[in-house]
Amino acid sequence: MRPALLIVGLVLWSSSAAGQQVVDPIGSGDSLVWRMPPTSPNMQRLMAPFMGIIPDVSPFLPGPGVDIGTLPEATVGAVVQLTDGDTLRLEATLLRREIEGQTVKVYGFNGQSPGPTIRVPQHATIIVEFTNHIDFPTTLRWHGVRVDNQSDGVPGQTQSPVRVGETYTAEVYFPDAGAFWYHPHQRGHIAQELGLYGAIIVDSPDLEYYSSVNLEEVLLLDDVLLDDLGILPFGFEAPVQALMGRFGNVQLINGQPDFRRTVSKGDVVRLFLIDASNTRPFNLRLEGGVRMKLVGGDLGKFEREEWVSSVIIAPGQRYTVEVMFDEEGEFALTNRITAVDHFLGEFEYQVDTLAIFEVSSEPTESDLSDVFETLKTYDGGFDEIRAQAGRPVDEELVLSLRIGALPLPVIRMLEIDTLYYPPVEFNDAMPMMNWLSTGMNVLWLLHEPSPGVDPRDLSPAMGWRFRQGDLVKIRLFNDPTSWHPMSHPLHLHGQRFVVLEQDGVPSSNLVWRDTVFVPVGSTVDLMVEMSNPGSWMFNCQIPEHLGAGMSISFQVLPTGA
Amino acid sequence: MTTIVLAVLATAGVTGPGSPTVECRLPHAVSPEFYVIELVSTRRIPGSGATTGRVDVTFASSPFGVSLTENGDYLRDLEINVSNLRAPDQGSFVVWVTTPQLDSIERIGVLSDGTLRGQVRWNKFLVVVSLEQDDASTAPRWAGPIVLRGMSKSGAMHTSAGHGPFETENCAAYGFTG
Repeated sequence: MRPALLIVGLVLWSSSAAGQQVVDPIGSGDSLVWRMPPTSPNMQRLMAPFMGIIPDVSPFLPGPGVDIGTLPEATVGAVVQLTDGDTLRLEATLLRREIEGQTVKVYGFNGQSPGPTIRVPQHATIIVEFTNHIDFPTTLRWHGVRVDNQSDGVPGQTQSPVRVGETYTAEVYFPDAGAFWYHPHQRGHIAQELGLYGAIIVDSPDLEYYSSVNLEEVLLLDDVLLDDLGILPFGFEAPVQALMGRFGNVQLINGQPDFRRTVSKGDVVRLFLIDASNTRPFNLRLEGGVRMKLVGGDLGKFEREEWVSSVIIAPGQRYTVEVMFDEEGEFALTNRITAVDHFLGEFEYQVDTLAIFEVSSEPTESDLSDVFETLKTYDGGFDEIRAQAGRPVDEELVLSLRIGALPLPVIRMLEIDTLYYPPVEFNDAMPMMNWLSTGMNVLWLLHEPSPGVDPRDLSPAMGWRFRQGDLVKIRLFNDPTSWHPMSHPLHLHGQRFVVLEQDGVPSSNLVWRDTVFVPVGSTVDLMVEMSNPGSWMFNCQIPEHLGAGMSISFQVLPTGA
Repeated sequence: MTTIVLAVLATAGVTGPGSPTVECRLPHAVSPEFYVIELVSTRRIPGSGATTGRVDVTFASSPFGVSLTENGDYLRDLEINVSNLRAPDQGSFVVWVTTPQLDSIERIGVLSDGTLRGQVRWNKFLVVVSLEQDDASTAPRWAGPIVLRGMSKSGAMHTSAGHGPFETENCAAYGFTG
């Protein structure tokens, strides 16, 4: 850039703050003060043009006016074993907990944050009585479970929000085996981030569905955004961090930054991995040469078990792996990513330890090494899917972004940022820019292809109607020419699908899914089995993107309608 | 995104500077255009002035859709297609990938009929096509002249140090000189 242009740019950046409320970015000790998210020294250098500007929404933290000392301390989620016909009472409340030496207010169910793990047999139906005692109306939904439409928990579509103090009763049927989770679907960018979620494990009646293991562990992956003043405020009227979602700076497993488990030498452990974070994809690896066998995905098992060196999981997704600890010692579960350093224009390696598995010298009670070495196959009923894979696409969606009244420095930075977008955002590489983007000034779109149409005139796709039993081929294209394209985990409610191909490369190992991760620039073809009648949502799982418009609704008409 | 039209022109047995040029494309459907690498001729080889090429970059096959190395780098398949490049009188066109600093170089293979497939495990890299006396199967790096070269899309990233609103930043403090 030439000096003359530089001067213009700086003037514009400086003037953009005029007319907006300016606050001390350091804060005054009141944790509700808007402040920029903490970031690396290099990224801090990029903050200068943004100083003094704050988001265009009100800051919010849980439990305003509530003395934190009066709150019960959150406990670790317990396992609740249920059977067909059981009733589960879930009470969402404000809790207190310590994270990284700070005492903060969080949300949880039944005194636990995250909430209890629900363990239930496949084909069971349970009654859930959900009582809302958090700060605002919300709903509860059952991510990945093909529930009846009225229990889907989408405010304004399948039910009214559950107001504070009220109880909502849902009937939840579990048609598929696998790992699932429950979370709020109203102001999820706040409630989910604060621990209001829990795992669901649905057990197949087939005792040989999974291979024998010595132990099972449910690992809920998450992160939380903290600075010296505590949890950083959320946007109340709409989410902040609407461009990239809210990345935390403390990574958690089951709500803990220092998760540890002790196992015996030779133990085979089945890990149910669930990404419950708002926006962070993980690249999970067990250090020390511990092998991982990929067994299952969102709704059940892969066609073929296979060895993997790491598991790449995006928000809302689930994977089931089996691992064998055949050596004594400590083995770290790490998240290894390459982050973009926008100041240097380079990638940098980042490694975070999420958990430690301590392998004792005590030998396993049951040697399952032969079973572990076996790679099983599974008939998931994919023949019909494969038979129709080559047919024309039925519906197409383009993932893009429309910007509104963003602060001028953000627009200037977005312009500079157009040179390169990584296929996947593994971290918040532009925290100051991200923080100032809100559901008020950006609109994420799922729209139908509209060649020649000005992107400012585009609207969300409307009017999809299918019939129960339809197989529908849907093409997703993550438009890299939109402003600040980003990888999106798209979640389909009430149905299941397989990924037929990505960027022209057919999937060689199918699994039923409900959430697909679409990198920037990529084209992904899905085959959706429209098995469940009702009015459903297709949305980005990142709650900040959902709060910025990234969803569409569609109808599945019952057979005979 | 447009689907690339495929055309394969048979060139078996054709060699020499006066021979027809190669026009080859491997079949694929929808490679992400955003990450396509344009190969630019160095014009160092007679008859290569009009030579063009492109490298399609897709994720290596993975049950997760996205494919990463154990360190977190992207693991990607490359599909190299070169047009208007005469087959050499002798030697081979060999494709390499290298980090921008040239401190790591890997041989992808011999460009046969203008096409080749390979894999790269770096996030920022160069693709180099050189003319070698043989297939350079054991060579640590190219020895012959470079015919074509191109850089991954990520090469467009540039440091902010010393530029724009950070003009006064000391570039040398971040390892940049000149």
